[in-house]
Parts: sequence; C-alpha cells; structure tokens
Amino acid sequence: MSADRPQHKPFPWIRSIMVTAVLGALIVIGAQVFEQQLHPVQPGEAPAPRVPGANFPADTFDGKDVPQPINYSHKLHAGDLGINCLYCHTYARRSKVAGIPPTAKCMGCHTVVGTDKPEIEKLTAMWSKGESPAWNKVNDTPDFVHFSHERHLQKFLLNNKDMSIENAPDVCAMCHGDMNQVGVAKKMKPLTMGFCIRCHEANQGPADCTRCHK
Amino acid sequence: MSKTKIDRRNFLKVLGLGGAGAALAGCDMPSYVTSEEGVEKVYSYLAPEEYVIPGIGVWYASTCTQCPAACGVHGRVREGRVLKLEGNPDTAANAGKLCQMGQAAIQTHFHPERITQPTIGGKPATWDEALALINKKAGNASWVTGTVSGHQRVLMDAHLGTGTGRHYAIEVVNSRPWEDASAATLGDARPNLHIDKARAVLTIGADVLGTWGNPVKSMRDYGNFRDAPRGVLMAVEAAMSLTGANADHWIAARPGSEAAVTLGLGHVLMTKHGISPAGMPSAALAFKNMTPARVHELSGVSEAQLDKIADTLMANSPSLIIANASHAAAKTAQVLNLMLGNVGQTLTPGAALAAGGLAPVTGSSKDLVEFAMNAKAGKVSAAFITGTNPAFLAPASLDMARALDKVGFKVAIASFVDETTQSCDVVLPLSSALEDWGTHVPAFGGNPGDVHVQQPLMERVHADTRGLGDIVLGLAKEAGVDGLGDFEDYYGYLRTAVSAMIDSDLEGDWNRVLQAGQATSKSAPTAFTTGGDVALGYSEAVKSGGLSLITAARQGIYDGRHANLPWMQEAPDQISKAVWDSWAEINPKTAAGLGVKDGDYVTLSTAGGTVTTRVFTYKGVHPDAVCVPMGRGHTNYGQYADNGVNPLSILNAPSGDMTASEIIGSATPVTLSATGDNRHLIRLMDIDSQHGRKLVATIPATQFDRNQGGA
Repeated sequence: MSADRPQHKPFPWIRSIMVTAVLGALIVIGAQVFEQQLHPVQPGEAPAPRVPGANFPADTFDGKDVPQPINYSHKLHAGDLGINCLYCHTYARRSKVAGIPPTAKCMGCHTVVGTDKPEIEKLTAMWSKGESPAWNKVNDTPDFVHFSHERHLQKFLLNNKDMSIENAPDVCAMCHGDMNQVGVAKKMKPLTMGFCIRCHEANQGPADCTRCHK
Repeated sequence: MSKTKIDRRNFLKVLGLGGAGAALAGCDMPSYVTSEEGVEKVYSYLAPEEYVIPGIGVWYASTCTQCPAACGVHGRVREGRVLKLEGNPDTAANAGKLCQMGQAAIQTHFHPERITQPTIGGKPATWDEALALINKKAGNASWVTGTVSGHQRVLMDAHLGTGTGRHYAIEVVNSRPWEDASAATLGDARPNLHIDKARAVLTIGADVLGTWGNPVKSMRDYGNFRDAPRGVLMAVEAAMSLTGANADHWIAARPGSEAAVTLGLGHVLMTKHGISPAGMPSAALAFKNMTPARVHELSGVSEAQLDKIADTLMANSPSLIIANASHAAAKTAQVLNLMLGNVGQTLTPGAALAAGGLAPVTGSSKDLVEFAMNAKAGKVSAAFITGTNPAFLAPASLDMARALDKVGFKVAIASFVDETTQSCDVVLPLSSALEDWGTHVPAFGGNPGDVHVQQPLMERVHADTRGLGDIVLGLAKEAGVDGLGDFEDYYGYLRTAVSAMIDSDLEGDWNRVLQAGQATSKSAPTAFTTGGDVALGYSEAVKSGGLSLITAARQGIYDGRHANLPWMQEAPDQISKAVWDSWAEINPKTAAGLGVKDGDYVTLSTAGGTVTTRVFTYKGVHPDAVCVPMGRGHTNYGQYADNGVNPLSILNAPSGDMTASEIIGSATPVTLSATGDNRHLIRLMDIDSQHGRKLVATIPATQFDRNQGGA
C-alpha cells in the first residue's frame, strides 16, 4: 500500500451503534423464536411422491384457527364432493393470484343447492345486498415477495406430462397442505423464505434474488 | 491514526456480512412479517366480467385533461383501480405517447386534498342545498373556464343561450398569437403543422417541444424531423426553453423584440435572397424599414445572426416558422412562411367539424383581462368557474380580487381548493378526469374530425363528487334548454350525441368507440385564403441596459395547475433542474454587474409589486432579461404547492389593444436588489463540472456545427 494513500476516517460512535444493533438483533430473533414456539414448524416425514418429477416439500406448519365471516368447508367441497381446486380458484392458472371465487360462482350452485342452511342463508343475504364476504387472509406473503400461482401451476401441473388437471389438489398441496381436510382455511405450510428456497433447490427453481424480490 | 480498528469501510463490511447472516438465519423464522394470518381482509368480486382477472390489468381508453392538448390515453385498471396511464396509440394527436403531466393524472385522481363535498360560504352543504341556492341566484351566469371542447362546450353554450352571460376561456399558456395570426393571414386559425416534413424549423417564442400547441405531437414529429436528412432547428427567444435547448442555433433576443427580429429576417430575405411578399405592399414596406442595423439596436441580434437564419431557411426548403412571442411576431412569421413557400407544404389547411359546436374554444389571457374589466364594471352578475384559476393567474394590476368581489354570485366547480375557490359563494366538488365522461376535440395534431372520448376508468374515489358534464347538464335542464329533458345523466346525453355523430345507435358501435377512445365526426377540409395585404408592426422593447422581467411555462408545473402534485414538484425543471422552489434565471454577465451570485436572494420590483427569490445564473437567458418560471407561489393550493413565488402577479397586464400582446409574451421593466441572504438552490445534477473525468464526452461547438446536415 502506498504511503500517500489517505487514511480512512474513523467512524464516530461506532461501538454504541454496534451494541445497539446487536441488542436489537437479539430482540428480533428472540421474538421470532417465541413466535415459532407458538406455531412450530414441524420437520415432517418424507412424503409420498405425489407430484411426478417434483420433490414434494416436507415442512408443515400448525397455523391458527382464524374465524371467518362464513363457515365454508373445504373438506366438504373439495374433499367429500371432489370439486377441483381450479373450478373455484379459476384465476390460479391465469394470474399471479389464485383469487377468491366471485360470489356469483358460489351462487351458481347455491341458488338451488342447500338454500336452507344457515351459512348459505348468510351468503344469499350478502349476495342480494351486493356485498361480498370479507374473508380473513390466511396464507399471505409479504408485499416484497412476488409469487406467481400461474408460473407454479404451469411447471408442476399444466406442463407436467405425467399430470392431468384432476391432480390439481396434489400440486396445490405442495404449498397449501391438504386443504380438502380443513374447514374454511388453515395455514399448513410455513411459507417462509427458507421453505421457498429449499423447494427451489430441490426442484431446480430459479435462485436469483430478483426473481421473487422485484 | 485512531485507536479503534473500525473505520467506515470496515463498519460497512461488518454490516453487510452481519446483515446477510441474519437474513439467512431468519429465512426459516416465521416472523410477524412472513406469517400474518387473519390480518388482512380479502374480498372477492361479486360477478366480474369474463375478462377481469385479479392480478392482471385491463387497459381502457380515455382522454387526458391535464393540459388543453387533450391526448388520448390508455389506463391500466386492476382490481377496480386505475394504476397507470399511457398514450393511446390510435389517437393521432399523441400517437401512443404521453407527457409527464399526463402520467401525473393518477396523482391528481388519488390526491389527498380533493374536495369531497359541496360547500356554501365555506361550510359543508348537500348537493340539494347547493343546487337550490344556485338555481335561485345564478341567473344570467357567465362561464369562466380553461380551454373547453366537445359536448361539455355544447352544453355550456346551450346554458349560456338562456341568459345574458358569456364564455370566458382563460389560458395564460396559450397559442393565441399564432391562432390569430393564422386566421388573419391564412384564413384558418389552426392549420396543420408538419414539423416532420420541414427541413428547417425556426421557432420564435414558441416552446413547441415543451408547452406550446400539443408538445407530445411536436416531440414525435421532431424525432422524425431529426432523422436523416437531419433537419435544422433554430430558436429565437429571450430565455431558453426546452425547444431552444434542443436547437442547433439559439439566438437570444431582448425581451419583447421578437417581432423586430422576425421583420428583420424578412428584410434579409428580400434584400439578400430576392424573395418578397407578393401582393403585400404593407408587409414589404415593414420589412424594408426594419434594417439589420435597426434589428441590432432593438434586439441585440446581429446582422451575421440574421444572415445565418436566412441562409439556413433558404438552403433547407421547405421550412417552417412558428412564432408565438407576440401577435406582431406571429403575423410576421406567417407572412414569411408564405414568402418561403412553406404554406401548402409544412402548413396545410385544417378541417372544420360539421358540428361546429364541438370545436375547441381555446383560452387566452385576453379573456382573463376582459373578465376582470367586465367584472369590475359590474357586468358579470354570476359566474361558474371551472378548470381555471383567475385569482392566481391575473397580474396584480388587474385587481382580480376586486373583480371577483364584484361578481354577484360565484360558483366554483373544482377538485381542489385554490385561490379562486376560496372567494366563491358555492363550491361544487368535481369528479376527477379519470372518473368522468366527456368528449374532447384536440386543437392541435389530431386527424380531421377526431373526437376523443373520455370515459371513467374507475368508480368515484369520493362518492359525493359529480362530473362536469352532469353538473352542466343539470344546470342547462334547470334553465329550460329544449331537448335535454329526456336525459337522466350526462352519460345518456353523450351516448345519444355520439351515436348521432357516428350514425349508429348499436351497442356494438358504441363499445367500439369506447374501445378506440375516439370517434370521427363529419368534417370538411378548410381552404387557405391568402393573398390579401397584411399590415405588420412591432412594439418597442425596453431599451438596452434596462432589465425586463419575463416568465416561462415549463412542462410539469405548467401554469401552476400542477403545483399541488408532488411528482411535478419533484420532477426537475427542464432548464434549471431545480425542484420544489422558484428561482430567477439571470445571465452571468448581468449577475456580475449586479454583484449577485447563485443562491442569492433578490427582490424583483416592478410597477405591479415585488417578489423575492433566488438567483440562478445561466447563459441561456438574454443579458437584459430576468426569467422567473410561472406556476409556483400559490397562497392557497394545498400543502404541496406552498413554495416559490408567482411572477405572473407582478407582470404588467396587457393594456389597451388586446390583440397586441399576451401575458406570457409581455416583458415588464424590473429592478433587482439583493437581500443579502444566500441559500443553495436544490437542483438535480447540482454541479456542472465533470471534475476532469470525462463522464460525458463533448466536442467543441465549432466541430458540432460541421456535423450538422445543411447547417
């Protein structure tokens, strides 16, 4: 190093700043550990190869029971009656968001089916007033994450030669768990960055930061 | 050497590594950010259109109303909200392009300071109360607007027809000198301009790339004009505009002397190049009398500079001269266009709409002065004011406050509180342009018969606002205009009127109009009527040595209507690159003579008053001129507009013969005195020096000239 190179200026208050930063980091990590204990990420067992050509993510998450305006049942509709996920969440293969089905779609059946049930009566009342239910969002990624349902369905379902559209629930289950076993909705996968990254690594998804954080 | 080993560089290293480590460790930690459950609400559509998909935008056509140019736009609508505007590629007036002011229409629309409910005397009221009061007291009302066209104008005319009021269309930034000169010399106020077909363009006080006519259209044509063979652009003006900054030859003329330069150009063309205004003895005489020596005396433009302009125009035919500095300059320029054979080549006849009532009523400061005079004389009993802000635009000498006071009953139809609405008896909350219906006929740049259609791009943000068309329709119905009784709202009226225009009332054809964003009205091409003698003149500019205050409109803040938009305040001025404040552009020589430097506060005193602002020294302004761009210095236009000074307030109002001059072209004698304060003017790209690093490659001006085609 040449002698005439100017010395870097010492940064004042460096120690107090670093101590504060460390304390802050400890508080943040502590809060996260606390949160994790409330809703532990379970390691999960090696799952059955449900989606051919893909490594199915093993992690699970025990989400809260979130009260909803209408006590809809995924178990009844998707499980017992076997309605395909994409019948109601029709936007999932066309857009970045899966979308809540339009009330008109519910009413397509429920003007004739189950009209005497109290939950359907609630829905019908909203429909006639021109309101849609205010659902509480259960699976949510932060605004700085760009996740596209369309792109993932293309890879694992629509462009997967070993899959047909009937297998949609298996693909959805990769990130949402088996929704045909629950009521309105429950978060069953952690949807953290670690979860995303492990799956991207196992399935040769893109690893650039900017593919999701844009 | 300090004791600690941690310097700034090491600190950043630690911060970077530590941050990355923490981020990786935290990837699996569902935090408050990544595991929100049941916090946000999610609503579904009730019964969406087939093509509506959440997360994917749908583009709808509409029309921009941010300035009088009326460009067609496409608006991206997603989940029921309009998010982005772009130019409509199908409208000839802007051909897919949109300027920064148009982009900022989104900000106007979602602005937090919108008026949300009617007020009477400043107190909240209901629409019923406000309309009842208006119906009682607003008989024989005049309309005070900006530029209006289309069916809004038709309804205003119908409403005016029921009383004795008149229409005042006020625009301080306007093309009135050019329009009047074109009407006088060619018999067509708005001939089509073909900048792209010209091989040389000379602008005289007309910022065609910035604010004059339709700048979006001009910029497109300018792009083609600069393609090979490269056209030559020349500009004569007192302070550099965006057009002047792009010009190959920029000629500084003393403020107010532009007409003399234009006449001198005629003199050189006659004497040196042997072309003369055929059949115009008066014009020929005026040219003959304006010798280059006299031009130099009046304007400071040398004979060599005049020769160069004349030589360039002769060597590059067809050319085009666009002048807007004054009525005299514009008229002279049109005579020069005739002499140079440009008429018919780069200036072609426009078209007259079969439904003449749709044609634009373009604004002028003549109407501003007349409104002030008539109001002070007690001739305006009531007024509806919309789309203009006379209290801000009027020079102090017009005493607009007293004029407005003398108007018996004033109704403002506005989206924002401003200097004018605060003195109005009733304020009606106006929908934003992106929530409203309308039709607009572009004054410049459209194809013959083009009628741009404005349709709402989303539901009203504030439920209690109403569209301009709906308000005017309601007033016209109340005033007993025939044939409007069947229409419940302006949409119904507009749809019927457009159906009649396109000779089809089929749903599909109406939808095609909405999809295209425009309809074509029947029109007939106009023909030029030339050959008559034209009397030309000029007004004496302030003598050399005396300073003149001039103002300029810049794209962005414009005439002040966009000063309440943070995007426009933050967008650097095209010339000074300053933001969020006013400044006075002064030639470095003049500044040295006055003993002031950059950032010094100076008080500018004219007969009309004083303003105090900072000096920005700049070579692109005539040594006898002080240029303070207009639009800032609002006193009551919301929190974002609360900066700068208003040079319009201390300009001389054009007096006497109103055809002589427009406010924007007027030069006002001014004296400067330093206050002693100095504060750095905040500018983008603050320092002009490249510190010897050759960040931008440059060549000397002499070398540059040799590269230019034809110059």
